[in-house]
Amino acid sequence: MSEVAQLQLIALSIVGVGILILLFIKAVFIRVTGFVFIVLGLFSLMSLAVPQLASLPPAEEKIDIASIKTPTDIATIGQTVFFSKGQCALCHSIGPSESARCPDLKGIGAKLSKDFLYESLTDPQAFVYQDYRHGGVPKEYPATMPAINKDPIGLSKNEILAVIAFLQQMSGEPISVSVSELEIPGKAPSAPVKSAEAALVADAHTN
Amino acid sequence: MSAIQEVETVQRALRAIRGQERWLLGLLFTAGWFLLPSMGLAAEGTAAGPTEYRDIPYIGSRNLVWIVAQLHLLLAGFVLGVPIFAWLCEVIAWRGGEKRYDKLAKEFTKLLTSAYATTALFGGILLFLLVAFYPKLMNYLTDVFFPSFLLYCLLFLLETATLYLYWYGWDAMQYGRKKTLHVFLGFLLNFFALFIMIVPNAWATFQSSPVVIADGTAFERAWAATWNPTWWPINIHRLIANVVLGGYICGAYAGVRYLSVKSTEDREHYDWMGYVGNFIGVFGLLALPFAGYWLMREIYQYNQQMGITLMGGFLSWLFIIQAMLIGVLFLGSNYYFWLGITYRIPGSEAKYRRAMLMMLISLLLCLAVWMTPHSLVASIEEAQKMGGAHHPLLGVLGVMSAKMTVSNLMILITFMSFVMYWRAGKQDTAGWAKLGKAVMGAVLVVASLAVIVLGVWGYFVPAIVRINYFSTSQVAIVGFVILTITPLTALLLKSAKTTTEMVWGSMPPRAGYALVLNAVMVILLMTLMGYARSSSRVHWHVYGVMRDTSPYAYSPALGSASLIMAFCTFFFCILVAFIFWVATMGDKYKAAAGSGGKGELPHGIPAMAGGAPEERQ
Repeated sequence: MSEVAQLQLIALSIVGVGILILLFIKAVFIRVTGFVFIVLGLFSLMSLAVPQLASLPPAEEKIDIASIKTPTDIATIGQTVFFSKGQCALCHSIGPSESARCPDLKGIGAKLSKDFLYESLTDPQAFVYQDYRHGGVPKEYPATMPAINKDPIGLSKNEILAVIAFLQQMSGEPISVSVSELEIPGKAPSAPVKSAEAALVADAHTN
Repeated sequence: MSAIQEVETVQRALRAIRGQERWLLGLLFTAGWFLLPSMGLAAEGTAAGPTEYRDIPYIGSRNLVWIVAQLHLLLAGFVLGVPIFAWLCEVIAWRGGEKRYDKLAKEFTKLLTSAYATTALFGGILLFLLVAFYPKLMNYLTDVFFPSFLLYCLLFLLETATLYLYWYGWDAMQYGRKKTLHVFLGFLLNFFALFIMIVPNAWATFQSSPVVIADGTAFERAWAATWNPTWWPINIHRLIANVVLGGYICGAYAGVRYLSVKSTEDREHYDWMGYVGNFIGVFGLLALPFAGYWLMREIYQYNQQMGITLMGGFLSWLFIIQAMLIGVLFLGSNYYFWLGITYRIPGSEAKYRRAMLMMLISLLLCLAVWMTPHSLVASIEEAQKMGGAHHPLLGVLGVMSAKMTVSNLMILITFMSFVMYWRAGKQDTAGWAKLGKAVMGAVLVVASLAVIVLGVWGYFVPAIVRINYFSTSQVAIVGFVILTITPLTALLLKSAKTTTEMVWGSMPPRAGYALVLNAVMVILLMTLMGYARSSSRVHWHVYGVMRDTSPYAYSPALGSASLIMAFCTFFFCILVAFIFWVATMGDKYKAAAGSGGKGELPHGIPAMAGGAPEERQ
């Protein structure tokens, strides 16, 4: 007997008990209880009559450095991080959106350099622009960008680089993050990405 | 203690239990049975590293937390809804001078002390279970919301103190300025209760719609997390729902008592109490769909994927069940009004029979449309014949444009049922009565047509236009009708002549069952939407922020979930019945003692309506 059939049997029994109570018991409170049994049993039967769909969690994504061969592989991982652990899509949209609470990231990979993006993610208050978009009225954003490499989000360096690769790919730019920049677990970390200097940042923004 | 003394102590203990061996054996066996789960808990706790989850055998940690959380929420809704209900009744008595409303308010306030303790008890159990089963999540939430935890404790202290003053000061503050102070205390009680509701709402809504929390002080972080997109929609929705719950539970209690009492006076009293409960329930019910619509709109704005999971994803069939429950609730509420017209106001049945029949047919048609699924479960052959999952005719009715239209029409019909009940047994005498009735009729007809036209037009415009303009216009039109016809009717009836006096206590037994049905529907709806809100987070504790990595990261199908919902509903009903029983026990005893110990209540003094000596004077 399937699980649904077993549950239907239980629900039917509840209805049956309710009917028996109403037929044979005279005490008012018990009769009302029987009536409630019938209502609850019918509710369960109705719920069991519709398609039974459960929501299963997707498999967790883990970055396997060994499987990464090309910058496109890095960008693919970055896309996953962008929409899950990175929580970027909680506030940012890709493309114009009235409901987005933070800047639209469409074309951001073409507009900003890798170093600037890295610094924006790890030290977001270093340079703050009310509205980086050209034209239009500057928009006040209610949320403040958190340092993405710290708790509660706490992305690793590899994950941040992967997100940058995704942003570049999304903007139609050549991906400047190379496989050799990724840290291999157990090995000494490679040289950290340099923080952009003010001049470079200004260049990146105006170019 | 020496060895000899120890032996003597043991011997004395053994002598003491002689003859009680079976009893003790049973006790040990029971204790062993209850300790079995703790073995499971201990095993979970030995894992290396910080414990993220603990489990309990058989029932499972998730199910246990689900049941306790749902019961706590229902009790909290009851405890927060009843003071609103009681305070409204007290204000009506205070301003209008009808003492029976004051008595009714006192009867229900009496429940609060025991109900409040039960709610706090379940809250405490829930907290312990959450800390035990979900330490990682609780650690995270504590880190974010620590200041609001302290505020919550403070609010509890204030609410408790106010409740004691409100309840124990009832008789002492009956007249003059003291009564004004008492009404103010009632206001304070509801004011603190509102904050007691919205503070934990922030914790729950943050889990569903978290915002990014930047560095800052503990207060800044807590405030940022509190002000999340679904916080106020939930606050408003729950506030209204609590009023509805309080009203319908009052009605159900009156219904059960009405079925059991024998004396004419008692029947009159509980009939009237059922009417008041149903009226307050309907009063809130009319506004509830609007609040629900706003909440869903905010969810879509926050995260379209979450909105789709709810309305078009694996939870979409849930909304068909929701439509069924709301439909039955509307039918039950209207049916009770119609029974009132038929039995309480003799002679009105013939006048309104046709209108009632038309309303019933309209409600059933609306319900049929509301319950029409967007996609049908069909075999491949059937789908090929239909040209897809959408039925060529029914598929048209399964979309939001149609559903919004019929839900607005159902609200209009229910409102008109109430107006009909209000007007029954009265004859207009005002000179402008004819014009007034014509205006009201025109408003109703034009509004109904406008709602339907907007509904049909909604098929031909982009969804964003329909959601932002058409649906909100439909809601505004219904609101306009209510706000226009209510004062006009009140003005008309002010000078009207009563042709038939209201006869209380003449309702048939099925009226009592209708009231019970309405209460069960509201409770089921709350359990159903609790499941929906929790499941909309899918495999996240905090949506998009903290993933659920426990074995219970899946959301169960609606069928198996419905049995847990049914259990919660039933258990809550039993708890409420117990609270009513406890609250009235003393009165019954006093009443029995006062009437010569026969256990019968004196005529005109129902168990809850003034058994205490001071109330009888």
